[in-house]
Amino acid sequence: MGAAADFIEACRLYLTQRKFPEDQFSIFFGRLGEALLHRGWREHAVECARIAFELRPEREDVADLSAWVFSNCGRYEAAAAAYERLLQIRPRWAEGHRHMSGSLAAAGQLDRAILHGGMASNLDPHSFEFAVHAAGLCETAGRYEDAVGYLARAAGISPGVSTVLRRMSGLKFALEEPEEAVALALRALSLAPGDRQNALHAGELLLRAGRFGEAVDIIGSALDINPRDEVALRLLSAAQMLRGRITDALEAIDQAIAIASEIAEYHLHRANLLYRLGRLDEAAEAFGRAAALDPSNPDAKRSQLTVYFDSGRFTEALAVGGELIRAAPENEEYAQAVLQVLNRRFETLDGDYVVLSERASRPSREPRPAPGFFETLRTQGRVIHALIIRETRTRFGDSKLGYGWALLEPIAHILMLSLVFAVMMRGRPPIGDEFFIFYYTGIIPYHMFVHTSSSMTYAIAANGSLLQLPLVGTFDVLMARGLLELLTDTLVAVILLAGFGALGLGALPQDFAGVSVSLLVVWLLGCGFGFLNAVINAFAKSWDKIWAQLTRLLYFCSGIFYVPGMMPEWIRDILAWNPLLHAVDWFRSSFFQEYEPHWLDRSYLVMAAVVTLLAGLGLERGLQRRLYEPL
Amino acid sequence: MIMLDRVCKSYRTRAGRKIVLDEASAVFQSGHNFGILGPNGAGKSTLIRLLAGSEPPDSGIVRRHARVSFPLGFGGTFHGALSGRENVAFIARIYGAAIRATIAYVEGFSELREYFEMPVNTYSAGMRARLAFATCLAIDFDVYLIDEVTEIGDQRFRRRCAEAFRQRMLRSDIILVTHNPHTIRQYCDKGAVLANGQLTLHDDIGRALESYHRLLQESA
Repeated sequence: MGAAADFIEACRLYLTQRKFPEDQFSIFFGRLGEALLHRGWREHAVECARIAFELRPEREDVADLSAWVFSNCGRYEAAAAAYERLLQIRPRWAEGHRHMSGSLAAAGQLDRAILHGGMASNLDPHSFEFAVHAAGLCETAGRYEDAVGYLARAAGISPGVSTVLRRMSGLKFALEEPEEAVALALRALSLAPGDRQNALHAGELLLRAGRFGEAVDIIGSALDINPRDEVALRLLSAAQMLRGRITDALEAIDQAIAIASEIAEYHLHRANLLYRLGRLDEAAEAFGRAAALDPSNPDAKRSQLTVYFDSGRFTEALAVGGELIRAAPENEEYAQAVLQVLNRRFETLDGDYVVLSERASRPSREPRPAPGFFETLRTQGRVIHALIIRETRTRFGDSKLGYGWALLEPIAHILMLSLVFAVMMRGRPPIGDEFFIFYYTGIIPYHMFVHTSSSMTYAIAANGSLLQLPLVGTFDVLMARGLLELLTDTLVAVILLAGFGALGLGALPQDFAGVSVSLLVVWLLGCGFGFLNAVINAFAKSWDKIWAQLTRLLYFCSGIFYVPGMMPEWIRDILAWNPLLHAVDWFRSSFFQEYEPHWLDRSYLVMAAVVTLLAGLGLERGLQRRLYEPL
Repeated sequence: MIMLDRVCKSYRTRAGRKIVLDEASAVFQSGHNFGILGPNGAGKSTLIRLLAGSEPPDSGIVRRHARVSFPLGFGGTFHGALSGRENVAFIARIYGAAIRATIAYVEGFSELREYFEMPVNTYSAGMRARLAFATCLAIDFDVYLIDEVTEIGDQRFRRRCAEAFRQRMLRSDIILVTHNPHTIRQYCDKGAVLANGQLTLHDDIGRALESYHRLLQESA
């Protein structure tokens, strides 16, 4: 090497001293460079070419030799300068423009390279290579439209080359002309059906165009040629996924992974498929694989966290979250995700996993037989009993007097009536000696009826959420209220009677059984109307107001503060349709044995009670499930 | 064991009839804990009320060969005007449990202190849930029906609940509705998926969760 440099230096000195003509000098070094390049002494060849070209750049032969040496030795800028000289001499030299373009491209001057590449192709439009070269440069520069133009020219020169069409197709897609892109890809594929690249390209374009079925067919044809083509399998999996055939997609990616198991992206894709199939445990594992294969990409781990979270494996989710935060302590999104996991963990009934095997040792319970008739009856008894106790707690709201009101109301009533009529009539009551006792015999059966029927109207609404208890039904709450009224009003009747006795107004009922039976029958009548009211009120919300008015009317029509005997006969005939009138008279006639009105029809009252009770119970049973809205 | 035999159930909404069960038959065997999964609005709570007997089916039969609890969940089973103590006494009475012992247990467990003597409608949702949990635990049911219980007080109370349930689960079963897969995995070994009027039982809770997730994906 040293020798060659010395030789060149010697040649230069000798030729300079001899005043060798510059032209000869320059050509000599040009040739020397050529010779050295043939020997493989590239550095020295370049040195010689530089000496030659610096001396006579305008000479065609010198420029020619230098350009050849420079471009073969990788001195592209120098080569470009030499070709530029040549092109000044031969401006329409197509090949020269092509060389110039190649040198400029290699030197990184893409715009000028494109200019000369284009000129080369334009000067020789029948050159396939020039057209493809120009297209490649345009594509690199992002000038896709120009690239398509040159490729079209190339395709015109050699229509059978499928790669040109494939490249055009790619460019068309980049130019957002997907339909033409697909058409070109399919033409390329039809030219060379066995070309794997063509098939994959066409498949991918069809996928992107949403033509999943065709994509699957074409990718399948590539797989027919080589069933172990993992790229084709990956593409097939994508196509099946987009088609919604997740299971087939999973099968394809599984095959791809069997061939190339180390590609992180395949595992990521597989994990997403498993997640979509709801196979969360496997998805988490696959995300883990992807994360292990490509630790620089945090997305796999982030997805793994989501899967663990979704499947309720918060401990694992927390571990993955910890890794994410350690890797990127500044990432707010990761911190949020971990916080969410922590929150959810606390929301759950905390504690460790219940070891279900602990249960294996437990003595298995005997299955309970379905409850028999008496068991059911006992349960219902318990429920009604509990409901009655519950009713006594709220019967009079927050009033301090509480249950005392039940006593006060009829006393006040009787007291008022007695005072008013005693003052007005100034004499004896129609029956017996005392106004108090007379009104008592009217008020007690009336109250028994009105209290029972009215309080049952509200039974369902008043018990509200207690009806959510499986054992508590609408019948139970209605019956509880009815029974409570029976108990209360009976108690009130007895206490009042005792009170009268204590005051010396004593008058015991003369027919004790008759008094009891008549009260019981009027109570049954009240129950019948109570059931009816409850049902009607569930459908017509203002029924309770109408009922309140009706009971007020009954107050005047039931012979409470008078005896029907005082009425004209035609009025009495009308009033006799009122069962409550018979109830009051039945009660009175048992109280005062001398009172036996001829219009009293005990069987009419019993019939009325039975009929309303049957109707009420029947309606309640039939419409039970519509009587209250479950919460 | 709770058996559904060709049960139909639907209810009316403003948007028309909503079918919860359409001729569904299923057996919830004793000795297993079931997690019930289903998309929102599928009628999981209604199913729980059917199993409990709080609501009758439109047709078909629900057979219970076990003492089944009342549904433990959002819908209250307490009377608002009664105090916590009175409500507990009521429930003890209807289930035929010893009243004093039940009240003592609930008073201790629920930690409602002076609120135990106050009307339930003065309670917060969390306090109601605590009362319901304690009452349910106080009575020895064979099967506990739990409908989406969260928000039951602080973590210490939740831990105590979980511990109590763990003890109880050595003898009793639970049927659980929750959106939280963690809770389901914690407590249940079998699962059921309720969707579009169909109730599908799975012998393995993992399978049930998978099937449920697939269902969600399909509908998404």
